[in-house]
Amino acid sequence: MATQDGLDWAGESGQVSELRGSLFKYACLGAVSFALLSVLVLLLYVAADALRPFSADPGWHLVYFVTLVLPALGLAGSYVRSEKPAGEVAVATVGIPIVGLLLAAAVAVVLSIGLLSVAELFAMTIATAVAVGVIVVHARNRPRAAFERLVVLVGAPTVALLGLPPLEVVWLINTALAELGTAARIPLRVISLRELVLSAPVLPLGWMMLVGSVTVPVAGALGVVVARRRERARDAVTFVAGAAAFAAVGAFVGPALGVDPTVWILVATFAVAPVAVYVEGVVRREDGVAGLAFPVVLVGGVLAGAVLVEQFGFAPPEPWLDWQFLTSVHSRTPADAGFYPPIVGSVMMMIVVALAAFPVGVGAAIYLEEYAPDGGLAGRFVTLVEINIGNLAGVPSVVYGLLGLALFIRFLDMPSGSVIVGGLAIALLILPIVIISAQEAIRAVPDSHRQASYGMGATRWQTIRQVVLPQAMPGILTGTILAVGRAIGETAPLLMIGAASSVRLAPSGFFDQLPAMPRQIFAWSTNLEPEIRHGVLAAGVVTLLVVLLVMNGTAIIIRNKFQREA
Amino acid sequence: MTNEELSTNARTEAESRDGESRGDGTGGSTADPDGEPLVEQSISVDDSNVRTTPANPDTVIESKNLDVFYGETQALQDVSMQIPEKQVTAMIGPSGCGKSTFLRCINRMNDLIDIARVEGELEFKGKNVYDEDVDPVALRRRIGMVFQHPNPFPKSIYDNVAYGRRLRGQTENLDEVVEESLKKAALWDEVEDRLDESALDLSGGQQQRLCIARSIAVDPEVVLMDEPASALDPIATSQIEDLIEDLASEYTVVIVTHNMQQAARISDKTAVFLTGGELVEFDDTESIFENPESQRVEDYITGKFG
Repeated sequence: MATQDGLDWAGESGQVSELRGSLFKYACLGAVSFALLSVLVLLLYVAADALRPFSADPGWHLVYFVTLVLPALGLAGSYVRSEKPAGEVAVATVGIPIVGLLLAAAVAVVLSIGLLSVAELFAMTIATAVAVGVIVVHARNRPRAAFERLVVLVGAPTVALLGLPPLEVVWLINTALAELGTAARIPLRVISLRELVLSAPVLPLGWMMLVGSVTVPVAGALGVVVARRRERARDAVTFVAGAAAFAAVGAFVGPALGVDPTVWILVATFAVAPVAVYVEGVVRREDGVAGLAFPVVLVGGVLAGAVLVEQFGFAPPEPWLDWQFLTSVHSRTPADAGFYPPIVGSVMMMIVVALAAFPVGVGAAIYLEEYAPDGGLAGRFVTLVEINIGNLAGVPSVVYGLLGLALFIRFLDMPSGSVIVGGLAIALLILPIVIISAQEAIRAVPDSHRQASYGMGATRWQTIRQVVLPQAMPGILTGTILAVGRAIGETAPLLMIGAASSVRLAPSGFFDQLPAMPRQIFAWSTNLEPEIRHGVLAAGVVTLLVVLLVMNGTAIIIRNKFQREA
Repeated sequence: MTNEELSTNARTEAESRDGESRGDGTGGSTADPDGEPLVEQSISVDDSNVRTTPANPDTVIESKNLDVFYGETQALQDVSMQIPEKQVTAMIGPSGCGKSTFLRCINRMNDLIDIARVEGELEFKGKNVYDEDVDPVALRRRIGMVFQHPNPFPKSIYDNVAYGRRLRGQTENLDEVVEESLKKAALWDEVEDRLDESALDLSGGQQQRLCIARSIAVDPEVVLMDEPASALDPIATSQIEDLIEDLASEYTVVIVTHNMQQAARISDKTAVFLTGGELVEFDDTESIFENPESQRVEDYITGKFG
């Protein structure tokens, strides 16, 4: 018989107190909202300073809202409601050209600052192709000679690209010999294929070399995708030939249209060709074709908006962050101040950081996780080392700057305030973080897979190479890129190694003066001109954040790609 | 009691009981002199196994006074046993009795544990595997292993089976080797047209058969199995059991199991380990389940202990 008393267990009489739990839940919610909101408000504030949206006529906002924002939102809403593939296609067709244009811009900058000339690029491509060819032919003809393959794997690229011994090694040894006062010098060396091509009496025209060294490899990679999709190898060849022809046309048509041939070739290679391949695939599969309308609506909206704004005479906003800001150097007049050298300098510094920190950090992590003993006295020493790597991660960055100053400038006599010194000092700074994150990624590989591999008669090296590293790689890459992203904003070490506040020229080599984004921002913060302190500085901060977001986005894409393959 | 005595006893007992217990399907219940069933659940020894067993098979693995320590703890005490070639040898016993430890001694997987220490001898084809000049990697290429939980690599089905061959650089006829191994592991029909898919998409039972295919693709002489069916459902378990019986025609199989019915069904020889790492009895499966010598083994098998 269910009486009123018999229902006590249902909890109506309040025996189960949820009060403390709910309070705790709302306290946590409050903490997370406060943290996110305060960061968001700060970012919006900085973005408003950099872009100055309110300097525009309200009519301007209205026109673009009607022509661009409303149609785009409507279309996006219809994708969300109707079909998933269309949304993916829309994101990809907008994303691929953006990424392609960024890549094209990167190559254009590399060529324009003289880091590499077109001829050097061409020679490098030929040498790389020959080295890869030698490796492939050797592997096909002598598949079982393991040691020989290692020699070929290291030797072929060295001889093709650097020569034997490399020029830098010869220079180092000769300098050392001269220091010692001996007259002996290295008499001769095997000249590399790259140098051979460079010293050829006649080189092809610039645009031919650019097509050969940029368009053909990129189109070749895309051609593999095409061939796999259509299961016909000939289509890949047709595609490469077509892409190369389209790029080459730019050399003749470009000047007539007022487009620089180099820009034409790079844009055709990195943006047009991938988009063409992607769109062709979407049309062929007939899956999500509706998504192709999205970029059309975006471009159409921008064009229509421009015409209407012109018609009504609405004033556009005058942002600090504009094309002029990204492409010119610092100036005392706020309107002319630019950020170009620091962007190039910071990216070059990041290359040094990644090249220095990644191999050392990952190598250390592999040793600590896979080889180092866990038991006995040696094991205790390893534990001590691991604890201290954790402590090193907490050492203030200004101390690492001091270490860089002492080690690289005072002791190794590198040029003060150069790209290489800044990169190496910051590489030291993020090294502990790279080691720890790589260790965690390696530790996350289940032990059962190692056991399975050893049980199959694999050596330790084979187990690490075939089982541990492939599974740990996404985690290692994510950790490294996030660490490099942190490093790009480091200012204190740059102050310690003597990076100049404003550098008028983008560095053209790794031993040049380093203009870095955070260093320039720091210099602007004490400028007497209020417009520089508030407007230009904010534009610099937003640029830095965008570069950071691009890097972190890359990390996420790489991780997802590896995870899907695994 | 030495091993020799044990096996002599086993043979005489088997002879004396001949014709008594065969074919009634309840195996264990008739052997007890009191007429009471020795085993409550019907653990029946599969007769076909007994018949196909050669009279005096060659010993392929022999342990002599093997002791294993993990740090201060002794995991195995003075184990001596002869494992015959091309038969299924089962090891049973309660948790923590050292049967897995013994299994992992055979292919020196215990080397991977820093604190493990092995004393005594363990001979594979007459050579002590703990001799200085034995390379554990080479040893493991002759003795394959299947683990308790299916542990395929996160690679394609094909790459999983080809893994061992590729390690050795034996890449010729890889397609045939993969096909044949999958057929032997009774998995070919299920995965034939999706060899490129990830092995992790297979069901647990399929994954375990894939692991068996992976370990026999390199043509080992011995396959060690550490509770291969303990993480699987009854249907997958029975598939694995059928497979093990088939494998015994080509390979020596040593299997650790918690499941006594399983040991009774599939094995030719059974070793019973009891707490403390002691090998209490090692004999033909039939004798162990029908007429164990030791009272402790009888208690364990009938469920009074463990």
